[in-house]
Amino acid sequence: MDQTVKATTSSSNLQLRNLSKVFGQGNEKVTAVDSINLDINPGEFITFLGPSGCGKTTTLRMIAGFETPTAGSILLDGQDMSALTPDKRPMGMVFQSYALFPHMSVYENVAYGPRTKKMPSAQIKTEVEAVLESMSLTTMANRSPNQLSGGQQQRVALARAMVMRPRVLLFDEPLSNLDAKLRAQMRIEIREVQQRLGITSIFVTHDQDEAMSISDRIVVMRNSKIEQVGLPAEIYLRPASVFVADFIGISNFLEVASVKASTEGMAKVAVLGKEIEVPAHKDSLTKRSILLVRPESIRVKKAQAGNQTISGTQGRVKQVVFYGEHVEYRIETEIGVIVAVASDPIYEEIVQVGQYAEFSFDPMRSWLLPADTH
Amino acid sequence: MSTAVIEKDRAVAPKKPKKIKLDIGTKTALIISVVLLLLMVVFPLLNILTRASEGTGREVFANILESAVTRKIIMNTIVLGVIVATVGTVIGFFLAYAQVKLNFRGKKLLHVIALVPLITPPFAFATAVISLFGRSGIITRDLLGLTPTLYGLPGLTIVLSCSFFPVAYMSILGMMRNLDPALDEASASMGASKLRTFFKVTFPMLIPGFASSFLLLFVEASADLANPLVIGGDYTVLSSRAYIAINGEYDVPAGSAYSLILLIPGLIVFIVQRYWGERKSVVSVTGKPTGTQTFVENKIAKFFLLVIPVLVTSFIVLIYATVIFGSFAKFLGVDNSLTLDNYRYIFSGVGYDAIIKTTTMALIATPIAGLLGMVLAWLIVRKVRRGREFIDFLGMLGLAVPGTVLGIGFAITFNDVVKIGDTTVLPQLAGGGAIFGGAVAIVMVYTIRSSPAGQRSGIAALQQINPAIDEASASLGASGFRTFRKITLPLIKPALLTGLMFAFAHSMTTLSPIIFITTPETPIMTQKILAEVDSGRFGNAFAFCTLLIFIVLGVMALINLLVRGKSTNTANTPIVRA
Repeated sequence: MDQTVKATTSSSNLQLRNLSKVFGQGNEKVTAVDSINLDINPGEFITFLGPSGCGKTTTLRMIAGFETPTAGSILLDGQDMSALTPDKRPMGMVFQSYALFPHMSVYENVAYGPRTKKMPSAQIKTEVEAVLESMSLTTMANRSPNQLSGGQQQRVALARAMVMRPRVLLFDEPLSNLDAKLRAQMRIEIREVQQRLGITSIFVTHDQDEAMSISDRIVVMRNSKIEQVGLPAEIYLRPASVFVADFIGISNFLEVASVKASTEGMAKVAVLGKEIEVPAHKDSLTKRSILLVRPESIRVKKAQAGNQTISGTQGRVKQVVFYGEHVEYRIETEIGVIVAVASDPIYEEIVQVGQYAEFSFDPMRSWLLPADTH
Repeated sequence: MSTAVIEKDRAVAPKKPKKIKLDIGTKTALIISVVLLLLMVVFPLLNILTRASEGTGREVFANILESAVTRKIIMNTIVLGVIVATVGTVIGFFLAYAQVKLNFRGKKLLHVIALVPLITPPFAFATAVISLFGRSGIITRDLLGLTPTLYGLPGLTIVLSCSFFPVAYMSILGMMRNLDPALDEASASMGASKLRTFFKVTFPMLIPGFASSFLLLFVEASADLANPLVIGGDYTVLSSRAYIAINGEYDVPAGSAYSLILLIPGLIVFIVQRYWGERKSVVSVTGKPTGTQTFVENKIAKFFLLVIPVLVTSFIVLIYATVIFGSFAKFLGVDNSLTLDNYRYIFSGVGYDAIIKTTTMALIATPIAGLLGMVLAWLIVRKVRRGREFIDFLGMLGLAVPGTVLGIGFAITFNDVVKIGDTTVLPQLAGGGAIFGGAVAIVMVYTIRSSPAGQRSGIAALQQINPAIDEASASLGASGFRTFRKITLPLIKPALLTGLMFAFAHSMTTLSPIIFITTPETPIMTQKILAEVDSGRFGNAFAFCTLLIFIVLGVMALINLLVRGKSTNTANTPIVRA
């Protein structure tokens, strides 16, 4: 892709203030979004991540104007959007189903917005061609959308939204209809275009890999509320709740005893019969807490011959899944099943099902967090 | 995700932000259509209600309990409705089953013939059946030496079943095509025979379809006026009684009262159907068939399954042959020598005027009805949240109300100037001395009778289009009305086409509402045919029918050409999905 589409002159910031949405009436009321607050910085790529029904799509649709908020406001560069219909909001949207107009060619699809705006036709031609060029769609211009592959349709949908030079780009699970490989490729393409143009973007997904790889910041949602907002690494390595830890990646939760404060951000805990010092969430000292250890932080090695005990640090291997670059173990221990991942394994050292294995972890790679799940 | 809930109405809640309003274009469309519906259906119905509560009208209601004659008329109507609904549904089912589950030569042809009655003028069947099977019928007397009494219930059953079974056929066919073949496959994989699969899987899923087509046919048959007049003999039904009351006895209140009774089953069925429609989720419309349709291969089963479809379609062909041949015969069955006298008669006299005027009025009403139906569909599916059921109800009322009732309503409403207080809001639209010789009222009747078909097919088509397509248009800056013109309308063009063709065919062949408001200045073909049949000039009637059929076919072809021709080759392709 080349650089023919010029960046919008300035990026916009978007603020959600006490935004709520209640569907239904009377006894059938369902709160889809419950008073959420969020500041999105100019040019930022934000992902709403969460399970089905958490309110992420409803939030996106309120920003776009397809749903009317029950309460609260949406401010774009300080201007309240609430009273504007979708067609009056300077936002572009890419739909899950792409929503390409089936009776129009690729060119006509992309030109639809500019024509609606009554742009001069010469300008329409230049802009549409430029966008098509930048999305490598020039040769497809005269095709009908259903003559395109999924990835191409996706690009048309993106081109159609971008040609309007929106101040905010909204993506509603746009990659969920693509196969895994194409999904990974489109992620990179979308991110590249977004960074090049510096458009403030909101991306809705339930795919954690997608969220991690594409976003500046991730907003994890749960039960109509924001659970945590943070950088991808923060969300993964420093989750604020068991829910976040559990939703993103695989987690081992170890029971801890005698939590004591240590240096700033650290805590002393007793776990598996040993006292160790671990990084800790600020609330973990005041509430009941639990220790998160990611599978890749756990080191596994074969137990010494003859040692067939099951203890807190040793167990019997129940399942071995070989992925090529890593091996995933499920080990039955005294404290339950532990999931461990060994990267770049040595062939001879792979522990087989039924064998016994010792495991350990580096305390600095664990994370102490509040245990209650609301 | 939220897709399951977005359909729900917006909630009332504290601190409500400004509500997003419908844009001007949408609002205008909404107001115009609702006003049109109120004027063309609600207003006439209210007038019937008023008139029926006057003197003789009240007597009719009182007689329901007391007079044996009135009770007999009501019973007759119900019996006729039930018989025709049963026969028609059975025929419709066998034809649909043959289309979906049997493989045989001439399948397409069978389908086309099965739809022909939809465009047939009301008397063609009755007249042809009398000529063939009546007391002096070609087949009964000349070939078999029989003189059966056809007038009355037997004749009505044959004629009405043949006229209305396509309605059942279409609805059951649609349902059967939507059944996921994977269900059959699943049943077979669990060891069920074809027969068991049919009775345990297919049949139960089709029950709502049977029920709805039964109800539909019941209403059509019990409210029909044309055939009871021609072949009913002394088997009097409500519609013919109302007709006699108004056109023979000039007793408007009594006529209104009879038609009001007729309205009851129609409205009940309409409401039941809507309730049913909400719940017919048993039918799995998955969009993507997951298996391939398996056909019944057993020769004996095939033979028996084809008996009814072949008999019925042959009968229709026979009727058509009779109508066309009869139009060229001196007097069918008596003097079969060929002549053009029948056509000469039509073109020399008042018949020609009727042809031109009927066709013109139908041509005016067709686009209005098509557009009204589509706009209503669009408002109902996409735009209006609160009150969409009410608008849908209003729109469908034009068809739910029996033609006789609507006709009487129009006659008593528009035969005079319409006033609000002391100000005249509408000049006299119907009857002698009305503006344009009463043509305005006739066009209105054509429109309101036809737009529901467009509305239904439009709603069905719109529901297939992903709402995200409309939203995409909005997010690209298009107003609601621009979205309708540029996106929605082109996408529902095939439905529009069907709506338009139905509208025209329906207008051309309708009689019951028109007969009450036709005037000498604006003769109507169907009414002329009735006159010819009444005076025993079957040849002229056949010639009229033949011409009418050809006009309908011709205009349908033209509409097809016009609407299809302009659309791009991709217009028929459904929503783009990966």
